[in-house]
Amino acid sequence: MKKLILFLIIPVLFSSIACKKYLDVNQTPNNPTSVPPGTLLPTTTAALAFANANDLDRVTSVIIQHLAGTGSQALDYDVYKLEGYFDNQWNLELYNGAVNNLVIIINKFGDANPAYGGIAKLELAYAYSMITDLWGDVPYSQAGQGLKFITPRFDKQQDIYQGNAADSIQSLFDLVKSGMADLDKTSVLTPGKDDMVYGGDLTKWKQMGNTLLLKFAMQISNPNPALAKSIIDAVITGNNYINSNALDFEVPFGNAVGNQNPLYTFNNVNRTTDQMLSARLLALSRSLNDTVRLGKYFTKPTGNFVAYENGSTAVAPALATRSKYNTFLTGTLGEAPVRLLTFAQVNFILAESALILGTAGDANTYYQAGIKANMQKIGMTTAEINQYFTDNPAVVTLAGTTEDKRKQIITQKYMAWIGNGIEAFNDYRRTGYPVLALASNAAGQNPNVIPTRLTLPNGEIQRNPNTPNPAPHTDVKVWWAK
Amino acid sequence: MLLSGMLLLYGQLLAQGRTITGKVTDESGNPIPNASIQVKGTSLGTTSKDDGTYSLTIPASSKVLTISAVGMAEQEIPIGDKNMILVRLSTRLNMLQEVVVTSLGISRDKRSLGYATQNLKADQFNDRGQVNVVNALQGKVAGVNITNASGGAGASVNINIRGISSFTGSNQPLFIIDGIPISNDVDRTNGGPTGTLGDNQPPNRALDLDMNNIESVNILKGPAASVLYGSRAAAGAIIITTKKGSSQKGRAEILVNTNESFQKATGLPKVQNEYGQGSNGIYNPGTSNSWGPKFGSTATVANGLLVGGVAVDYNPYPNNIRDFFETGILSDNNLSINGGDAKQNYTFSAGYLYQKGILPNTGVKRATVKFGGNTVLRDKIKLGGSATFTNTLQDGILGGNGQSSMGVLHGMPRSIDLQKYKRDKTWKNPDGTNNYGVTGIENPYFGAYENPLKSNLYRIIGIANIGYDVTSWMNINYRLGVDAYTDRRKQIFAVGSGRVPAGQVLDNPITRTEVNGDLIISMKKNDIIKGLNVSGIVGNNINQRMNQNVTLQGDNLTIPFFYNVSNATAYANGSLETTTLQRIVGYYAQASFDYKNYLFLELTGRADQSSTLPKSKNTYFYPSISAGLVFTDAFNIVSEVLNYGKIRASYAKVGRDAPPYKLEGVYGVTTYGNNVANITFPMGSIAGFQASTRIPPTKLSPEFTSSYEIGLNAAFWKNRITLDVAYFDEVSKDQIVDVGLAPSTGYSNVTANVGKMTNKGVEALVTVSAISTRNIRWDISGNFTKIRNKVVSIFPGVTSFAVPGNAFTGSIPTIQEGQPYGVIIGGLIPRSPDGQRIINPVTGTYQSTIANQVLSNPNPDYQLGFTNNLKVKSFSLSFTFDFIKGGEVLSFTAAAYKSRGALKETAVDRDKAHILPGVIPDPNNAGKYLPNNIEIPAQPYWQTMGGLQSEFNVYDATTFRMRDISIGYDLPATLMEKLKINSARIAVFANNVFFVAPNAFFDPQVNTQGAGNIRGLDLQSVPNARTVGAGLKVSL
Repeated sequence: MKKLILFLIIPVLFSSIACKKYLDVNQTPNNPTSVPPGTLLPTTTAALAFANANDLDRVTSVIIQHLAGTGSQALDYDVYKLEGYFDNQWNLELYNGAVNNLVIIINKFGDANPAYGGIAKLELAYAYSMITDLWGDVPYSQAGQGLKFITPRFDKQQDIYQGNAADSIQSLFDLVKSGMADLDKTSVLTPGKDDMVYGGDLTKWKQMGNTLLLKFAMQISNPNPALAKSIIDAVITGNNYINSNALDFEVPFGNAVGNQNPLYTFNNVNRTTDQMLSARLLALSRSLNDTVRLGKYFTKPTGNFVAYENGSTAVAPALATRSKYNTFLTGTLGEAPVRLLTFAQVNFILAESALILGTAGDANTYYQAGIKANMQKIGMTTAEINQYFTDNPAVVTLAGTTEDKRKQIITQKYMAWIGNGIEAFNDYRRTGYPVLALASNAAGQNPNVIPTRLTLPNGEIQRNPNTPNPAPHTDVKVWWAK
Repeated sequence: MLLSGMLLLYGQLLAQGRTITGKVTDESGNPIPNASIQVKGTSLGTTSKDDGTYSLTIPASSKVLTISAVGMAEQEIPIGDKNMILVRLSTRLNMLQEVVVTSLGISRDKRSLGYATQNLKADQFNDRGQVNVVNALQGKVAGVNITNASGGAGASVNINIRGISSFTGSNQPLFIIDGIPISNDVDRTNGGPTGTLGDNQPPNRALDLDMNNIESVNILKGPAASVLYGSRAAAGAIIITTKKGSSQKGRAEILVNTNESFQKATGLPKVQNEYGQGSNGIYNPGTSNSWGPKFGSTATVANGLLVGGVAVDYNPYPNNIRDFFETGILSDNNLSINGGDAKQNYTFSAGYLYQKGILPNTGVKRATVKFGGNTVLRDKIKLGGSATFTNTLQDGILGGNGQSSMGVLHGMPRSIDLQKYKRDKTWKNPDGTNNYGVTGIENPYFGAYENPLKSNLYRIIGIANIGYDVTSWMNINYRLGVDAYTDRRKQIFAVGSGRVPAGQVLDNPITRTEVNGDLIISMKKNDIIKGLNVSGIVGNNINQRMNQNVTLQGDNLTIPFFYNVSNATAYANGSLETTTLQRIVGYYAQASFDYKNYLFLELTGRADQSSTLPKSKNTYFYPSISAGLVFTDAFNIVSEVLNYGKIRASYAKVGRDAPPYKLEGVYGVTTYGNNVANITFPMGSIAGFQASTRIPPTKLSPEFTSSYEIGLNAAFWKNRITLDVAYFDEVSKDQIVDVGLAPSTGYSNVTANVGKMTNKGVEALVTVSAISTRNIRWDISGNFTKIRNKVVSIFPGVTSFAVPGNAFTGSIPTIQEGQPYGVIIGGLIPRSPDGQRIINPVTGTYQSTIANQVLSNPNPDYQLGFTNNLKVKSFSLSFTFDFIKGGEVLSFTAAAYKSRGALKETAVDRDKAHILPGVIPDPNNAGKYLPNNIEIPAQPYWQTMGGLQSEFNVYDATTFRMRDISIGYDLPATLMEKLKINSARIAVFANNVFFVAPNAFFDPQVNTQGAGNIRGLDLQSVPNARTVGAGLKVSL
């Protein structure tokens, strides 16, 4: 019997003694549980660029007829069938890619390291402007905070841009100003090469911040011209914004696989048959006698532009002959940057603002500076630029009614935004320029209207009961639209 | 001449035998007519006459007679030198005495169990041409749903017992082989960012088991049955018992078994062959559609058939899809040697399976060697063990939607001579790039031959067992099991391939090891008080599971046709290392009471400590109680009709721990995008990390599933009909789930104890001995399963989230409150008040869909299985039918055939106007609708009916199928004796013989993603296969 008891006890004893350590194996060897802010900043910067140049660029570029769809989703986009798309953009690129990591930088590291916190606020403002411009009313003041708000409220677009104290909504303008103020504070850690855009130069980030204010102000100039004017007046007075092509807010990409600009990987590697030059853009470019510039944006494999009609069901031209994005946008191996805020844009904003809002400066001067900045940026020679100005005085000089002049400005801005469909889509909806005809065979939620917003992605609709129900269709204008 | 020769031989044999006579009676001496008297191990025998007498001539070598009769206990009687044998059979009081193996390898009389199990012997599933034991159970088990991924070589099989009980955990049962848990998991190699559901259909690892070694399979259905195995058996358990050394004295038995069979793809849709490649009636080599001109049209510039004055080669190739599938070959060979006696025995087995798949360049090869033995030392110590070594190789190709062979093949243009590329080996250009008749699309043969995924798995399953009989009533046993495998996988994407044009080599070794130790002390005392027997066990379990998955992804290959990771220039994308380790220490006890062999009670408790839970909550206890009453014995019910009846009831609760590493929030290397465009950090030399989109739990406790079950076992007319019915009601609560959050929270999910899901069901098994005479035996068995699953609640503020796994936006398998598990959520076309689909008057097609509606429900209404075993003398015939009523499949395959204009129906009235069924809003009367009269051409009509994620691609999956058939013949004993062979059996068989799916034009019983929680999606799947073959089994 004694032997028996021993038999029983030994294993049990042994296992209970060994147990504590035996079970203490739940620390993951696969992932870090904390990281420094210098590894988060590149993540968020890349998120902005990737979101801007990936699917959201494709849908907007097709809608505003820079491109025409010839395969897969682009065929749907071209006829305005937008339902069921954009989950990956909304989720993985914007709210889970940019927003949540920016909130972590601000909340976890921002107090001790306002250099990081300030940059994060500027990037956050840029991210939210993309989201609200494309989708209208969106989660903002309660978004990106995890369990604190499990079903974030959809804030109105006017509240996102202008703020709403009653609902504790900070305006995008105040978010930018708060970020710029942070940049002046003493910071334990400061960014260096982890700042992919400006290499840790906080002065340049301030210029970026002021440029953001210009962009946001112009965006709301339809419904609230007074606020727009006051913001732009202040920025002009402060005179510290992007004032050369070298200061453009653009995110670099590399030529190694996995580092390449999505415009390259999509159009040149993985989905070569999906989209090409729009016949509408080619016609516009020819009417402006502007094909030298178009040649910087698009290839001419046969020596001529080969374009395709938006929404057409005709047989697309042979793949090898198609005009597609040129190296300015893609790089030779994907190393072209994604351009988010540009000197040309600043000039066009100031031109339009002088014209419409009566802010300081001469509209025509800014207008011509905008055209030149873009032409220089895309690699036209000084001789080519001067030739264009000499040959096309009617194009490069504002004339006619205020509305005529505005049409000229936005048309040139449209030419400058080739490759950034989101900005061209914003300007089109805000001003109605350039005048676009419906795509052939238009369908979608309203086949008679070029979409004025994107459809909300299913994932948010499914999981957030605060999503507007029914979700707004593509023909419902956003608050700032014309 | 031959005939007379054989007769002569027969005469000679007879001359060597002798005649035995006798009489069969019951205990009272009444004669038993029609009793079977048989020479054991042969088919030689006779039946008794009406007065119970018999006369039988037997060969001289005969040793034992087996005597049986309906309702009586079988007897074996040594012949010796007797010439007259009188037999007195006793009534089988212990009706349905069937020994089954339950939890922890404990053998139990089924009579004493208070819960449902179902036992299958090898002859009920062998000789059917199956290689995966899970497939072999199809249609035969009540309460179990089994669905193939496809007919691809080695493709996995999903098995759910009594429905789905866990939101996001595994719902596959635990697999136990000879008492130790083994992995039946599916390891996926999904190609990192290139994996848009493009798996090669990897196997569930039960594929590594050689079915020739299996003696029986017992299915433990509910938590009450499996509670001793702990949390991992919450979804039931499959208990596999392998063949042991012979326990009869005498020489070793040598068994040789060979099965050779052929496979053919089945269930392909019928195609049209009147119109070829093109759009809108115009030939277009850039499209995958067959909306081009009619064959035989005059070539013109307008219809695209005249290019530069030369007519395009434009002819139908009616079999271009069907002929892509090849004739599969299956060759399964096994040699096993079993010898020894009850004390010392050994088993040896070697098997080799060769399978050439129905897809080009695919197959499975599996070699298995097993050695095992048992011995008894000093009469008290039992030692035993076995080691099984397996090498499984699988060659697969990518499936799924997109640039895969299957994605391109289904509904391909009718005018492309696909097989020409194979005949001429021209699927690639001389520079290695893709060559195909549709611009920008990958040739299906290119995918098959240039982008293979090869798996090479080595697995060892080792079992060691030592037992000690302390006293006559107590035994101590320790059992140690190890299941370890390493699967070296290599995926190649050739330069110029559709999915990875720059080329890619993916090296993916997967290692899993599981070590399991059980200390079991068992006790048994009879007649504690008169008639009360008590048995019990206490035990301790230690379990460790370690998995490692390392992926090295080499991108952008430089040197053509050199597929080594050294040929790549980028390695950061998709490369990763994941190691998990989890441990459980469990303590358990069971007490079983048996009162006079008619009243049974069993109490079980188990406490687990798990490494994966917070330390304050890591110990959890769960009990079960079950009882059975054989009321026919208890109340002395003597009836000609009802000869056995038992009611049973059980309650069980099973706790489950968390997956490892769920308690902390983590960061990971930043990556954005998918297969069309993506970036991965580092960007140059700049590192980037991002927060995981999972929020760690604020608190976490174990999850529990509780289950009630009541059941009835009954036997009628001396066991001619038996019945086993169960009703169960299961509730799963506080599940540990990464519950989906609104993306705008910045995160995609949070780990928490959430939700409630119920499963209620009825299962029934009926067996009928229709005929039982000496020469003819006919058994029929039928099973029925009906399960109702409901997601009752999820999480405050969350009413719906996606089943984890890959899915396409617009058709998401979802966990949604108020719905059964796994409904597919997508867009539905708006309907008028009277239920008609509303047409957009501008386009003539349907209005935009309303998002987030239930598109389809993959859960069947009920299932029926029907098995027949007929034995006439030396011939046997068995076959299984199953019928699955309801359940829906969303078929991308159907979509492809319709929208691409390949389906036969799409050619009907192709040139006439079509009108979609539905209504248009009445322009003069808001809120009223008029019948649709807008005419549209055939192409937009069918492209509307075939939109990828449209409600029109939801098909009722009701299927009636002849699952298998096997015809066997036992060669005559007399001949065997001459040949010095114990016995030999030949069989011809087929499985997936035919099916009728009344509401689908394809086989709806496929599930592209295989074993797992996503069901009811046919994503341009490999079709199922029909197997036809023959086998020979010889015992020496």
